Amino acid sequence: MKHEVCVTGLGVVAPHGDEPGALFQALLDGQSAIQPIFPELPKPAAAATVAFDETRWFTKLQLAGVDRVSQLAVAAADLALRDAGLAPNNDADPERVGIYAGCGMGGAAALEAAYRGNGRVSPLTIPAFMPNAPAAHVAMRQGVQGPVLTYSVACASSSVAIAEAAKAIERGEVDMAIAGGSEALIVPGVVLAWQAMQTLASFQPGEAAGAVRPFASDRSGFALGEGAAFLVLESAERARGRGARSYATLAGWGLGSDATHLTKPDAPGQARALRQALRQAGLQPRDVGYCNAHGTATRIGDVVERNALADVWGDDLGSLRVSSTKALHGHMLGAAGAIEALITVLALHRRQLPPNANCSEVDPACSLNLVTPHDTSAPNIEAAMSNSFAFGGTNSVLLFRRP
Amino acid sequence: MSSLKELQDLIHEKYGIEPSKLDPNASMRETGGLDSLALAEFLFAIEDHFGITMPDEDANIDTLNELAVLVDKVRAAKTA
Repeated sequence: MKHEVCVTGLGVVAPHGDEPGALFQALLDGQSAIQPIFPELPKPAAAATVAFDETRWFTKLQLAGVDRVSQLAVAAADLALRDAGLAPNNDADPERVGIYAGCGMGGAAALEAAYRGNGRVSPLTIPAFMPNAPAAHVAMRQGVQGPVLTYSVACASSSVAIAEAAKAIERGEVDMAIAGGSEALIVPGVVLAWQAMQTLASFQPGEAAGAVRPFASDRSGFALGEGAAFLVLESAERARGRGARSYATLAGWGLGSDATHLTKPDAPGQARALRQALRQAGLQPRDVGYCNAHGTATRIGDVVERNALADVWGDDLGSLRVSSTKALHGHMLGAAGAIEALITVLALHRRQLPPNANCSEVDPACSLNLVTPHDTSAPNIEAAMSNSFAFGGTNSVLLFRRP
Repeated sequence: MSSLKELQDLIHEKYGIEPSKLDPNASMRETGGLDSLALAEFLFAIEDHFGITMPDEDANIDTLNELAVLVDKVRAAKTA
């Protein structure tokens, strides 16, 4: 028997704060969280960072060896469980709960401190840095004894994690999953590495907030972001049984690989993932009202994503409204899939769509029905999806329906 | 010279544990809540604080008093 997968809790610790409603409103209002960072670096840098008070979640003793990437995860997962009415009193069998966490890099701050310590290296650098530490810390905090797994699939990490969690619920392996991801790599060394990769947006002094312009003619790349987001997924039976609110059903997912190039995106590969998600959900392209695009605002990436959508949607492309919220919260890499899934779920739940910001002139090669700031209402929307396309060639699509 | 007071201050500053809450003769692991990772980090902080290098062979130290005796010994050896 296949179990239907419900989204019953949302938790986020993001550049726009830790309240999902406020985050969504900030996106509707087009508020950018991207600002200049590290003025000491040779080239100007900008990122969307989190104002995080770790003392809300940890005592000083509990912080021993816990990198920021794990701190953000513990907080966001706890908020998701509270939102689902499952914290602090979780009634689920601990062995029937799983954690599926995406993380691209791990504890970047711990590693940076090791490099910069002039030979003095904290003995807890390794446990702080290891990429599965966030999931492990969430498990210890919540007493989760089922599968506690980490998916490191670059920009698709937490989207893949959510899909894997949904599979486990669908198959009846777990009753409940805490699924999402975290990333915290806004440290000078990592920012320098990303600058060297030539994928970050350039900007003039004073204009960092508008630097990321997905699908626009004048786009020049993305800005890094940090944060964490988790969804609580439960089987429909369990959710109904405890009278839980369901924001949405995770009706389909598509996972596949380009198998062509390490960093260059590939429209046929993306289209395969899109078709797989539609097929699994039993939906036609015209049934989907909104796509939260991967939309990294790179020269090539946005065109390839548009071409993949055009290939699958065909004559119905105009009925699909699209936006990339990375313009406002930055590219959260291993956490991107999770926060964008959360935004997609909220869009469906509220029947309102976050606009595609900073796009005064659409690139003709990216012609899509982009959500504009003054037309965000979607009164009839029934299904929405979130795209995550990773370095390494892995493509992940999550397709949600209203419950 | 006893390093106990300084160690109590350091543990308070670093982990928020009041000196009155941690009996110098009780197990730091069992009553202080310092697990092996926190203790490893604390030893590292002690090295930074006193400018000393703690010997590896005394990893089985369990109480704050035992730790203070060892720190005293290392500091004395350094100034000798």
